[in-house]
Order: sequence, then C-alpha cells, then structure tokens
Amino acid sequence: MKVSKLMLSTLFGLLFTGLALAQTAEYTLDGMTFGMPEAEVFTEDYDGPPVVGEYVTMLPNLKPLDYEGNKHHEVRIDIIVQEIEVAEGVRYRAWTFGGTVPGPVLHVKEGDRITFYMKNRSDEEVTITEPSKGGSPFMQQVAENNYQKNKPGIMPMPHSMDFHAGTVAKDDKWRTIGPGETIKFDWIANYAGSYIYHCGTPSVLMHTAMGQHGVVVVSPKDGYPTDYEVDREYVVVQSEYYLEKGPGELYQYDFEGASNRQPSHVVFNGHQTIMHDQPLKANAGERVRFHFSNNGPSGTSSFHVIGGIFDRVWIEGHPFNEMRGMQTVLVGASGSATLDMIVPEEGKYILIDHEFADAELGATGTLKAGPKQEK
Amino acid sequence: MRSQKNIHRLKNWALTGIVGLLVSLLNPVMAQQERVLIPAGSFHSILPEVKGEPISVDSFYIDKTAVTNEDFLAFIQENENWQREKVPAVFTAQNYLQHWQESLNPGFDKIGENRPVTHVSWFAANAYCSDKGGRLPTLNEWEYSAQLMDFESIQEMNRFSTELIGWYSSVDAKNTKAVGSTQIQNRHGVQDQFGLIMEWVEDYKPIIADELSLDCGTVGRLQQLGNIYSYAASIRYITRMSFNPKTTTGMVGFRCAYNIDHPESSSNTQL
Repeated sequence: MKVSKLMLSTLFGLLFTGLALAQTAEYTLDGMTFGMPEAEVFTEDYDGPPVVGEYVTMLPNLKPLDYEGNKHHEVRIDIIVQEIEVAEGVRYRAWTFGGTVPGPVLHVKEGDRITFYMKNRSDEEVTITEPSKGGSPFMQQVAENNYQKNKPGIMPMPHSMDFHAGTVAKDDKWRTIGPGETIKFDWIANYAGSYIYHCGTPSVLMHTAMGQHGVVVVSPKDGYPTDYEVDREYVVVQSEYYLEKGPGELYQYDFEGASNRQPSHVVFNGHQTIMHDQPLKANAGERVRFHFSNNGPSGTSSFHVIGGIFDRVWIEGHPFNEMRGMQTVLVGASGSATLDMIVPEEGKYILIDHEFADAELGATGTLKAGPKQEK
Repeated sequence: MRSQKNIHRLKNWALTGIVGLLVSLLNPVMAQQERVLIPAGSFHSILPEVKGEPISVDSFYIDKTAVTNEDFLAFIQENENWQREKVPAVFTAQNYLQHWQESLNPGFDKIGENRPVTHVSWFAANAYCSDKGGRLPTLNEWEYSAQLMDFESIQEMNRFSTELIGWYSSVDAKNTKAVGSTQIQNRHGVQDQFGLIMEWVEDYKPIIADELSLDCGTVGRLQQLGNIYSYAASIRYITRMSFNPKTTTGMVGFRCAYNIDHPESSSNTQL
C-alpha cells in the first residue's frame, strides 16, 4: 500500500519535469531573423564567474564595438543574491542579475546573435568582488569599484530573464527556472536601441523592485548620424527602490510603497549618490552621448541635464526616431532614449529627473566638465 | 488577542527565535511529534477556481511543526537509501542535504537539531511522511490550515500580510530559526506556517501552474480576496509552482499530514 502510493507520487513528479515545445524554424522577414531554437533548461556544475561576455560592462561604462559586421556573442549573466548599499546607511538583500543593481550592461550590434546562459544561483553564496578568470570586463570593473559594497547572500527563489531586446516566445525563452537550474537560449538583436531586461517571474513588481533589471544597448548597424563626433558615451539607468527598515539592520521590500508607487529612493545607476560621488567626466566642447533607460519598475522620468540642451535625441535609441533641441525627454517605465549633448563650457552639469519629487529622492547626478581641449 | 501578537511577531522574530530556542531546549516534549486535528471546513483559494465558490476540505491531521533536522536524521538512519551518498539522482538535485556536515552527522552545533530540515526534495519529503504513516498535505489542506488565523480586523490582517511579504523579500536561508520560534500559529495550534520556511505540499503544481507561473501578470489574474492576504499568498503559490520535484533549496522543508482514519493519529493530538 505504502509502496504503490509512493510510486504514484513519483510518476506525478516525473510528469512535471518539463516537456518540450515545438518551436518555429528560423526565417527572415524585412532583413530580420526570427524563429529561435527551443530554450534548454538543465542543471550544471558551474561555479565560475557569474558574468561572462566580452561586451558586458558595469554602469556607466559601455564597451565599444570593435568588430566589422555581425558577431555571435556568448553571454552568461547568473542570478545571485547580494546584500548591497543603495544609499548611505541603507542596505538590503537584493535579487540581482550578475550581482549589481542594475545588472551588467550588454552591448551588441543590430543583427548580432546572442547565445545566453543563466544559472539561478540564488541558493549559493557567490562573491563578485574578486577578479575571476574568464569573467567579463564587468567583473573586473566591479572588483575595482565596488560602490554597492557587496556581500554575498542566499535567498532561494524562482527567477527568469526577459530581454526587451529579443523577439521570441516568452513561454519558452523567458520561462521561470528554480534555484540550481540553468537556462540557455538564443536571441537576435533585430532592432537597434536601448532595451531593458528584467525578471518576469511574478510578482514582477516585486522581482524588479528587488533589483532584477539591466540594459542591453543595441547599436544600429549603420550607426547614428553624429557617431564620428561623439567623444564620450555613458549609460545612465534610472530606477526606484521601495524599501523599509526590516527587523534587523537591513532594509527589506516595502509592499505597500511598491503598490502605491511611493518609492523610498529614486536613483541613477542603482545608488542614491553614486553619480555625485563619481561624476561623469567630459570637457567643454565635447559631444557626450547618454544611453538613458528608465527601468522603473513603475515610475516615469522627465530626463533633463541642467545647463544643457539635447542636440539630438533618438527615442528608444532607434536611429529613425530622431528629435532635436530637446530640454527634457519623457521616458516611461521600460522606455529609453539615446541623447547627444554638446558640453557648452567648463563647469558642472546636473543630470536630473525633472519630476522633482523623484529628484529629491535621489534621481540626480553630476557631469563634470574640464576645460576645452585642442582636438 | 492572539492576532495582535501575530502582527508584531514577524517584526520581532529574531528575538522570539532566541526565546523559542530556549523554550524548546527547556521543554523535554518533542513538539514535532504532535499532530493537530484540523476540522473540516472551507476556504477561498486564490487560484482562478469558480469565482466565489469556497473550496471544501475534509478534516485531517497535520504536524504541529515542520520536520526537523533531528527527525530527518532518525529517518535516514532507518532508511539508508535516503542518505546523501546513496539517494538515486532521479529523486533529488545535487544539493540534497548539502548543509549537513556529513551524511549521518548534520553538525547540530551549526545547524541545530530543532531547525526545520531543508534542502530536501519533494520525493524525499514524500518518503518521510509515507514512512510515518502519513503523506504530504495537499495544497488545499496546507493553505486552509494556514488561513485559519484569527484577526480582529481587516486592517490587522493587512498589517500581518505586509509583514509576511516583507519576510518573503528577506528570507535568510542561511540562518533558519528553530521550529516554534515564529510564535505564529493558527487557531488550532499549527505553528510556523509563515515566517520560517516554505513547505512542500503534495500537489504543489496545480494543473493551471504552467499557464500561471510563467506570466508577468499572474498576480493580477489570481483571485483577490478583498485584502492583501491574497498577494502574500500569491507569492507562495507562484514560488511553489516553479519548483520541480527534485528541487532542494535552503528555504524549503515540509511537514506531514495524516488521514483522519489513521490508527496512530489519535495519540498526542490537540483539539
């Protein structure tokens, strides 16, 4: 009697270990490629660097694309739990892609193919602050500039990855994986622009607010008209935290704040003061390009630079969506813009969400301009 | 007044953990041997069942607390095939009981005999309960028992639920407290269904799971019970649905349930 019950339960369990879905064969339409092979979910003994890929960097850096034509990227961004600082005296145990909030920046070219690996390592301690062999530039940059003062943590949870830059069936590629599982899938960057990525596992509000978001910059294959004049490129991500003091020293998710859109902090690049502590640099007369993304989860941003006017703006980063001479660019949750600004003179410029309630919760940063250089 | 206490307990669970530990050390009666009778009744599920129709649950017995490291050690001493080195790969992920020092030596000084056992697969949990003449509680039994809490008002229930969501966002799987330490219990004395670990149930992946658990908008599609309790519940449902039966994590343990006609059930019960 006992045995038969166990066998039945076993059968039930085995039934749910994942059955394959038929996928559409690859095809092209309007010069774009669709129909990716089916995602694979498996377990692996991987304990190497959580972020792998030649063109994966830490905010605000963007690795220049130094290749002709298209490239096939192999990228890994693992899910790990890290205790991080998001403002002075405010630390919480974050759910992260790769260890920071926001996660790493991936830079690819329109038409590139990405083979993506992601292991859910929320059930193991992963240290990201020691340089590791085979890791991405991101790993090196975090080791050199650990401004969120990471400490590894453990909080086993199911997670998933949703690349807004990808065009795939979400029930296949963006599927949820449990702690200890790895997912592998391909996607092609069919459209130019800056795109967020985030965890799509419900509650998506909670997962995103807990830190699971980042940016992919897809540079257009024929570039932007002003590329030859650009002196510096920075990636700036705005996002909100909804935190309240927990029972111990740490902060934790504030459900009511998140539900009522009352953030505790609104920040650039994951930390309330980082862009003042480490200002972006430029010189008078230079053309600075910002890849700006509003990762939300729920807020909008009215992005402005005090003292500057955006010479060119490509809404969502697509070269066809060009606007000129804008003071402020309205960017909704999960929206983006690529913006060129000419730095008028030596001095200080403030990046700001001109919705001032957000600015006063932290959504400001500094661009420090040195004297004009001879070119 | 129990409800008032419940509100503050998630907040103060670090403190109560220590108190609970002391109490359990001083108390020679093994709390985990006790079974509690849950009388038949009905509850509202958050799954998109027939709207407004409560789900009926027959009476059953359930363990007062989660199965502890000590309980599980005794089980694998008797059942060798569930020891770390011997368990067939088909029944568990690689990190089965990984936090134990050795196969038959958990290292109680580090992980505590009275803490709930974690890093156990659904298969292992099943085998344990089967060995005890029981079974895993069904999803509906577990949730029904969990909802038998007494709150004096909706506001109190919401405050409790808010704390609970906070707990889900800050689970410290490395430092699990002892069973009984949360001081949260339902009206029949079933302890720690909230605030300690998550627990296996027999049918953790209902038929609708694949459709639901993969969707951003799932939370919005689950039935709202008119208070934020359902939001906290949805996190639990969704997390559970994403497991597979081999999953072994530091956050998931279990307790057993027993059919009402079970001959041994009458011993040690609280009514």
